[in-house]
Amino acid sequence: MSVMLKRRAVVSAGLAAMSLAVVGGGPAFAQAARLRLLWWGSQERADRTNKAIAAYKKAKPDLDIAGEFAGWSDYWPRLATQVAGRNAPDLIQMDYRYIFEYARRGALAPLDEYVGKALKIEDFGTPNIDSGRVDGKLYGINLGVNSSSVFFDAAAWEKAGVKAPSAGQSWEEFAKNAAEFGKNKPKPGYYATADASGVEPSFENWLRQQNKALFSEDGGLGYDAKDAGDWFAMWADMRKAGACVPADIQALDQLNIESNALTTGKAATAFAHSNQFVGYQAVNKAKLSITSYPKVSKDSPSGHYLKPSMLMSVAKGSAGVEAAAEFINFLVAVPEGVDILGVERGVPASESMRNQLSPKLNDVSKAMVDYIAEVTPGVGPLPPSPPPGAGEFAFVLKRTSEEVAFGRMTPEEGGKRLVTEAETVIKRK
Amino acid sequence: MAFRSDVMVREGRQAALPKQSGIRKIFDRNFHAYMFLLPWLIGFFGLTLGPALASLYLSFTNYDLLQSPDWVGASNYVRIATADPKFAAAMKVTFTYVLLSVPLKLIFALMVAMAFNRGMQGLTLYRAVFYLPSLLGSSVAIAVLWRQLFASDGLVNMVLWQLFGYEGPSWISNPDYSIYTLVILSVWQFGSPMIIFLAGLRQIPQDMYEAAEMDGAGKMRQFFRITLPLLTPVIFFNAVIQTIDAFKAFTPAFIISEGSGGPINSTLFYTLYLYQEAFGFFRMGYASALAWILVVIISLFTAFSFLSARYWVHYDD
Repeated sequence: MSVMLKRRAVVSAGLAAMSLAVVGGGPAFAQAARLRLLWWGSQERADRTNKAIAAYKKAKPDLDIAGEFAGWSDYWPRLATQVAGRNAPDLIQMDYRYIFEYARRGALAPLDEYVGKALKIEDFGTPNIDSGRVDGKLYGINLGVNSSSVFFDAAAWEKAGVKAPSAGQSWEEFAKNAAEFGKNKPKPGYYATADASGVEPSFENWLRQQNKALFSEDGGLGYDAKDAGDWFAMWADMRKAGACVPADIQALDQLNIESNALTTGKAATAFAHSNQFVGYQAVNKAKLSITSYPKVSKDSPSGHYLKPSMLMSVAKGSAGVEAAAEFINFLVAVPEGVDILGVERGVPASESMRNQLSPKLNDVSKAMVDYIAEVTPGVGPLPPSPPPGAGEFAFVLKRTSEEVAFGRMTPEEGGKRLVTEAETVIKRK
Repeated sequence: MAFRSDVMVREGRQAALPKQSGIRKIFDRNFHAYMFLLPWLIGFFGLTLGPALASLYLSFTNYDLLQSPDWVGASNYVRIATADPKFAAAMKVTFTYVLLSVPLKLIFALMVAMAFNRGMQGLTLYRAVFYLPSLLGSSVAIAVLWRQLFASDGLVNMVLWQLFGYEGPSWISNPDYSIYTLVILSVWQFGSPMIIFLAGLRQIPQDMYEAAEMDGAGKMRQFFRITLPLLTPVIFFNAVIQTIDAFKAFTPAFIISEGSGGPINSTLFYTLYLYQEAFGFFRMGYASALAWILVVIISLFTAFSFLSARYWVHYDD
């Protein structure tokens, strides 16, 4: 008998726990006591984010924020499965490319009503606020501003006895110097630059310098086969001249900080997003410098634009949209939070925050802030929202550039192939 | 059955009564068995059969995880068959991998097993050591190791340069060779077929060899006339298991190319392509269709193996 009782007690306790979990997990409570935050990034970012969460906990002791992070490529499957399983995290770190898909499919909560109240982001300036807008509604708050950029090891260029990359330099000059570098290389198997022919932001910058774009306003391609062919040809010439790394070295680059030819000690120059400067410097022994892209001609536009390096969104159906908005505000508009995050996610969009943060930064972060200030006068507008299949285009570009680099196609054929495949990809659902 | 509880006997009698219908009767008689099977049955219906049927349904839809599935009929299958160059590339990579890695791995495993079978000192230790690579599986550490070995300035090229003065390419990132580095990785993990071969070799009666030796058969002849024929059931078992595993191989390519299948799709395993479609581009419907095609291919291969088995596998004990 006593055994039966015990068993019953266990069962009912279990049921109670289960029902509690169900109630707690569902949207039954008006005010959530717990928010989940999901982001992508390196360990450095995780440390900063967790520190910010801990600091916020002091200000708001009755609110729990549970953080969770993943690498870029694992992040999107995880987010998509959680959203599909009606288990979306309350706070979602969002990318400019994906925000359109998530917002248009009704996965994000519009935040317009909190602007000026929980979200004091008025001094972001219109472009920085609008970078989180989809179809007129605000779905993401800018966590930092960045732009495409060139990182280089100035000492290595000096050692080779050629002029290092600098702002306003032409592609022609850059290629000539890089070839010169290749002749006086400081060590064997070391090259002036990584091969950026398969790097999407580099191709985009080059197109924008010629007043073209990756994607047009109406969701088509913003360039033709000849443009792409010229781009591949420019890099093919550099490859031939020993100016950039050979195909089999470049193929090791998985488009992240760790596998880039600069980090692996094969090249003195890399092409990346400016906010990654902190991350690159963290894993490179040599002191790195940052500058803007080489230019097609003296009077061409710089091709740069200020991009939200990432945004923070709130899931639709979250039990605590307002609490989430308050936390976002802590990250982007309260000195304590802004100081903890620093510029690792990009330069703060808020002018007052940027000004109060700048004097506290170390040299690496400062160089990046200065870089953004330097390119800002010459930047163009944000590109139009990418078409649905745009995510796959980066893969197509990388593969086609490899086909050219390994000599399986001429640059001209590569250009034609790229356009044909890109057209199929962006139309596919 | 030697042992039967009273309850079971009583139930057996009840079940034997003519009134009840067929299914009901079988269920009643086996009630306890089903209760014991319940955990497995729940797992099978809930976690295997259910999702499998769901994926069959999804393969006829477009489904991006965020919006509900959209019925498109057979168009996913049509696209795979007619307008998907990546499908063809993935097929080529996968078949190259299966057809090379399975025989090589089995031959290697058999050779090592035969070496161990001579009854050497410290066999347990060696067996464990040789099994170790299989335990490591495909971890990130293995990916790093493989890159160090097969990169342009890796160990392999260092050895080639020292021994033959040959300056090798970066094997792992060259589309002409990268798949072979993955084949080598698979062959290196020969542990489990080796253990099974070793058990199989122990089963072969020693007196057969003694008799053959007396009749003047050499070592080679003994191997081809005794060892190999008597080992065919074990070879068959290993071949089937390894083939299915090779078709399903995913992690080696995923970690070495970091999910890209590159360079130029040269390591785009079928499962990796499936994963890209599903979790890279959120085309769950298309990925489900790809998955079902893989199921059909593996089934055909296995069926073919079993049909061919009657001509070369000897079960004569």
